[in-house]
Amino acid sequence: MRDRPSNEEITQEAVQERLDRLSSMFGTMMDSYSVQTQRRCPYKNKHGRCTAIFGCRNQRKPAVKGDLALCGGDDKINYASAWED
Amino acid sequence: MAELSDITNEFIRDEIEEFVERENEKEQMIGLYVGVSDDLLKIAEALIEGEDELVDELTKAALDAGTPALTVMDDGLIAGMALVGIKFRENFIFVPEVLSCARAMKAGMAHIEPILSDAGVEPVAKVVMGTVKGDLHDIGKNLCIMMLRGAGFEVVDLGVDVSPDDFIDAVENEHPAVMGMSALLTTTMPNMGKTIDAFVDADLRDDIKIMVGGAPVTPEFAEDMGADGYGKDAMSAVSLAKQLAGAAASA
Repeated sequence: MRDRPSNEEITQEAVQERLDRLSSMFGTMMDSYSVQTQRRCPYKNKHGRCTAIFGCRNQRKPAVKGDLALCGGDDKINYASAWED
Repeated sequence: MAELSDITNEFIRDEIEEFVERENEKEQMIGLYVGVSDDLLKIAEALIEGEDELVDELTKAALDAGTPALTVMDDGLIAGMALVGIKFRENFIFVPEVLSCARAMKAGMAHIEPILSDAGVEPVAKVVMGTVKGDLHDIGKNLCIMMLRGAGFEVVDLGVDVSPDDFIDAVENEHPAVMGMSALLTTTMPNMGKTIDAFVDADLRDDIKIMVGGAPVTPEFAEDMGADGYGKDAMSAVSLAKQLAGAAASA
């Protein structure tokens, strides 16, 4: 399919090159994380549901039993203050 | 020049079309995925969807079919993660989704690592990580683990609410070079010190390098409790683990 060599030998350098690429991607993700968590709880998924395994005053009962709780936070206040020990 | 339509996987095409807005990145993504075989595109798709069991199954199948391990890494796992990074930056997905993708990546790498090991490429070092007793906040720990694995560490995740005895058991059983403890609450932060004291009491403190981190933890607190190092975030945890693992190896 692709015209680059697909049988590259597995060497420390070849693996390290890939790890460096991954680390660079993850590093950029950490930058995104730093920005995102200033205005959105990191436990809130893309569907607005809470993935935390601890209590939070922003959790709202889901319509269907067994579903993740809905996040009722407005993301305008410091969401972490709602987390319960 | 390759076009989006040259990518043979409809899901990947749709993802690039919908989520990659910058022209230079769109070209990069097309370059990553054009010419890639269907089985590897399926791995990338499953990773982007955070389906760890499917990534596990598809990675095993691709390797069994003779696809080189580095090609599976490049065209399946890393290519998938590249798109995940863009979706995260652009706020199409959030931390829980990224962590699902990281779990999927780990599932695929579990099949690749033995092949790398057979070729003489070993992990940087082994690290055990856990959130201390009484604390259920796991995102900081999980992001550290994602970063450490991405940097080539083997990581044993002890989970949350980990007692001093469980940390000791893990160190005795896994023989890691480094142990990482995380705490998010000021009320649970002292449990890091209690865990270190438990290692001293068990006469195991010299056997392990201990790093700590978490929002309320400071370098001063880390030093006072007797930790070997403090990581202020996931990025610095990787540098610290490398430094401590190096120190552990030369001890």
